Amino acid sequence: MHSIVIIDQLLNGLLIGAYYLLVALGLSLIFSLSGVVNLTHGAFYAIGAYLAVRLTPHIGFAGSFVAAPAFVALLGIAIERLLSRFHRGDPMLALLATFGLAMVAEQALRAIFGASPLLYAAPAGLQDNIRLGDFVYSEYRLVMLAASVVAVTLTWLLIYRTPFGRVVRAGAQNPEMVGALGISLAPYRMAIAALGVGLAGLAGALLAPVVTIQPAMGDKILTAAFVVVVIGGLGSFRGVVAAALLVGVVRGLAAYALPAAGDVSMYGLLLLALLFRPRGLFGEHLSGEHLAFE
Amino acid sequence: MRIAPKYLPLLAAAGSVVALPLVLLGLGLTLASATDAVIFAIACMGLNVLLDRVGLVSFGQGAFFGLAGYAAALSQRQWFPGAIVAPSLVAIVAVAIVAWLAGFLILRRGRAYFAPLTFVLAAMLSAIAWRWSAVTGGESGVTVTRPSALGVDLANPWIYYAVVAVIGLLTALLLWRVHRSATGRVLSAIRENEERARFLGYPVDRYKLFAFTFSAAIAAIAGVLFVFHHRVATPDPLSISFSGALLAMVVIGGMRSFLGPALGALIFVLCRDLLALLTAHWLLIFGLLFVAFVVFAPAGLLGIAERLSTRFRKRKVEGPADTAPAALPAGLANRPPHDGPVLIARELEKRFGGIRAVAGIDIVVEDRTLHALVGPNGAGKTTALDLLSGRYPPDFGFITLAGKPVGALRPDAIARAGMGRSFHTANLFGSLMVEENVRLAVQARWRKRFGWWTSAENLADVNAEAAALTAYLGLAGLERAEAASLSPGQQRLLDIALALATAPRILLLDEPLAGLAAEERVRIAALLKDISRHIPVLLTAHDVDNVREIADVITMMRDGKVVTQADVDAAAAPMTRHVSPSAAGAKMLLRVDKVDASRSKSHILHAVSLDVAEHEIVALLGRNGAGKSTLLKVLAGIVPPAAGAITLAGEDTTRLTSAETARRGIGYVPQGRGLFAGMTVADNLALSRRERLTGAGVHWDDERIIWVFPHLAQRWYTPADDLSRGEQQMVAVARALSGDVRLLLLDEPFEGLSVAITGELFEAFNRLRYEVAMVIADNRLDLALALSDRSVILERGAVTWTGASKLLRDNLDLRRQKLWM
Repeated sequence: MHSIVIIDQLLNGLLIGAYYLLVALGLSLIFSLSGVVNLTHGAFYAIGAYLAVRLTPHIGFAGSFVAAPAFVALLGIAIERLLSRFHRGDPMLALLATFGLAMVAEQALRAIFGASPLLYAAPAGLQDNIRLGDFVYSEYRLVMLAASVVAVTLTWLLIYRTPFGRVVRAGAQNPEMVGALGISLAPYRMAIAALGVGLAGLAGALLAPVVTIQPAMGDKILTAAFVVVVIGGLGSFRGVVAAALLVGVVRGLAAYALPAAGDVSMYGLLLLALLFRPRGLFGEHLSGEHLAFE
Repeated sequence: MRIAPKYLPLLAAAGSVVALPLVLLGLGLTLASATDAVIFAIACMGLNVLLDRVGLVSFGQGAFFGLAGYAAALSQRQWFPGAIVAPSLVAIVAVAIVAWLAGFLILRRGRAYFAPLTFVLAAMLSAIAWRWSAVTGGESGVTVTRPSALGVDLANPWIYYAVVAVIGLLTALLLWRVHRSATGRVLSAIRENEERARFLGYPVDRYKLFAFTFSAAIAAIAGVLFVFHHRVATPDPLSISFSGALLAMVVIGGMRSFLGPALGALIFVLCRDLLALLTAHWLLIFGLLFVAFVVFAPAGLLGIAERLSTRFRKRKVEGPADTAPAALPAGLANRPPHDGPVLIARELEKRFGGIRAVAGIDIVVEDRTLHALVGPNGAGKTTALDLLSGRYPPDFGFITLAGKPVGALRPDAIARAGMGRSFHTANLFGSLMVEENVRLAVQARWRKRFGWWTSAENLADVNAEAAALTAYLGLAGLERAEAASLSPGQQRLLDIALALATAPRILLLDEPLAGLAAEERVRIAALLKDISRHIPVLLTAHDVDNVREIADVITMMRDGKVVTQADVDAAAAPMTRHVSPSAAGAKMLLRVDKVDASRSKSHILHAVSLDVAEHEIVALLGRNGAGKSTLLKVLAGIVPPAAGAITLAGEDTTRLTSAETARRGIGYVPQGRGLFAGMTVADNLALSRRERLTGAGVHWDDERIIWVFPHLAQRWYTPADDLSRGEQQMVAVARALSGDVRLLLLDEPFEGLSVAITGELFEAFNRLRYEVAMVIADNRLDLALALSDRSVILERGAVTWTGASKLLRDNLDLRRQKLWM
């Protein structure tokens, strides 16, 4: 009985970690190509959730599952265009601009949909529980976990196993040299902005049935994603994956021990990381004759 | 009565707080709006310490504002019922302590993490305030009373406004003093160039922590006033959106102006209290306003106003004054000699990937000598200086400075221990004035460098010494010029001035004589010799002729090791290899016509013209810093030309981007190779081929590349950074070929290579002449002349000679005359 509860909490932890990962991974990817921490990311997550709620009546749950992140990705492209036109070279202004846009997005959601939470439930077919002997787990949660794992795996394959990803990794290291090889980085920046932001939109659509949908919902997950990238290291794929799972699982287990300890565990991990791994989980390399990249 | 312009912001602030309530009441608002505006103005001005002075975006300001409110409310309830001054002081001190601890942790991570970490801090405090309702009262908050204090009836809103206004003015005065103090100047320096500040000996992290704590304490003052104004402490100010609103206020008002943040606070209150009457979504409008300012007018409202008003005022442009040469300032000259060597480095070693940049060298510098570290580009000289001055920790080795071990210290500690250094490319506080640059460097060793009240202008001895140094280096008359606008030679002098101003026990100078005109070189050489009579100098040079006359000791370096002159000669011995006859065709491939180029604010190339025929090899000759690399970058499309025209195979390519240029058949091999670490040789080559199968030139597939570099076949799946330097160079050339190519641009392809690899590369280029045309910039004169059909000599960014390489090869007199050797 006891071990089943622990497995349950472990799965919950992995699930939480998977969401954090979807949001943090997008942040990290966008940072590695543009050098800017995108503060609009939480707003994109919220927009993904709102869109999922609004689209489901028209195109069904599965349809909104695809359409919401896709629409968010388009927004990401538009914003990347806007920012790159004005602020290539001044990261502070770009950072402020992303925050301003986040503010506008939150207020726009409030103006359009109102401040009170929207109601949304998982589709009827997924509201049951799966039973394996004594072990009981929500179907919808398993679907969410699977969807997140698939999305992260596909992203990994894209970055590390395709010619497209090769350009992205090269561009993160030495954009000038990539240009001198005949490759214009602009479309890649756009694609990565779309991908990164789309992952946040996907997280929003996935989480819509299990969280409170309100305009400022992005702040909470953005905070967690920041904790993850600080622990894992911006631009480090494996660092972010490891940190997200670590934060998620520790949170799951801590919440089992004491419900209020969930949040505390996250900040505790952050504190430990800052004290003992001030260069990130796997370390950030000093640039010597050339940059190292993982 | 005349008032100095520097006091104007303070007067404006005083006038504003008097006029503010009248104006707001006139607009139909209440006095409470005016009080809020002043309180927010205080918080914003505090926030701007980080935003403008240090260049950091903080989401912590609202958190400290709100935290101070709780601290005041709770301490009034628990310890000081009926009091107001004591709880306020407790709150401010408590917040300062929390901020110091938080800042200590947050600043451990790099600049990019600052905004996210302050965001997390605010979110955490906000969550605590909401959840821990037993203490914080949750949503309803903690109420306070606003009693009379010191005989003043604070319950009267007008009197409370007056108190807030006076505190606001005092805060403005404090900030005004701090901005102008030694510490305030250092904060600007950190924003401009953090690395340089470190190498002057400033403990940058301590200054940042001070700024963070100071900014938080100002927020706490505002937070306390806010709580006693509304008589309740709630969780609202802790929210991210309040911190964000404060940032928006600063930007809208103008973060580069002293009173900009205060103006922004007023605009926020106007939006909140006037716009809210018209629409419930006033925050949406405020947010759009914020975005519009960031994108279109990042200098904010006051920035726009200042630009309009200075438009009609002419800025005085000054030139260098023709003054008699000055002597080394007394503070630096004639110091007691040191017993034994000043600097001893033993077995220094540093490895980058597969390359041993410094492979176990010993350097010993005696007092009052000029010690030159000489070797070809890529020999590891700069890395050696980097290890000595703490830029990189050595992998192995011992360093003592005046008898004290400094090997494990950080750059600022090494600088304070007495090591001053200059950089290969001038490393300055670009947008600060020349005198401010030097002043900052002198101030670095002054006891008062942490001063926060006395204006830096009044540190008479610092200023006197800065002036003396400026004169000594021949920069008098340029004091008020922006550092970035100086000529390369003047920037070099200023860089040396900065290193010298720290009154070092030893001066480390990286290539101080490179890329200068003959007369300038002679002048700076004499200057260095003069300095070395008082302070030992360790300098690097790629050309032994430049230092032979002034150096007391010469240490030769090659391949990261200390070698003898004979080794260097052997390595540089003319290659007696078979050279194929020229393959140059009659058809013109590339035509460069009167191209100008500049980087940052100084000119690099002047009216450079150059032709390359098909299959021709053109050598670009000239000293380091003559503009060879920049010219190659212009040809590759990386640096856009400011004037002139470039034609490639009949097509005008002047305005094309580097990617478009590369797709037209140009392969570029940068100095330092620029390979993608962590990617295999195959990956590096595949990247280059991706967009360059255009039919522009000869097609290069893997097979043909292996035909040129057979050696690479066995290294095909090795990560590029694990290769040796020679192999990396081959990959860099192979990558430039990979795809369709008709012109190769090679920047120092022989730099730092062994004799065997140099030979192999030479053979490869010799064979390639039947396939493509090449432009080679290299300091190996023998190799460049042997390979090339024609030579172009650059001096200080201009072409001084063009002709057949054969002439330079055979006619030593001509070579001496044109190449000063």
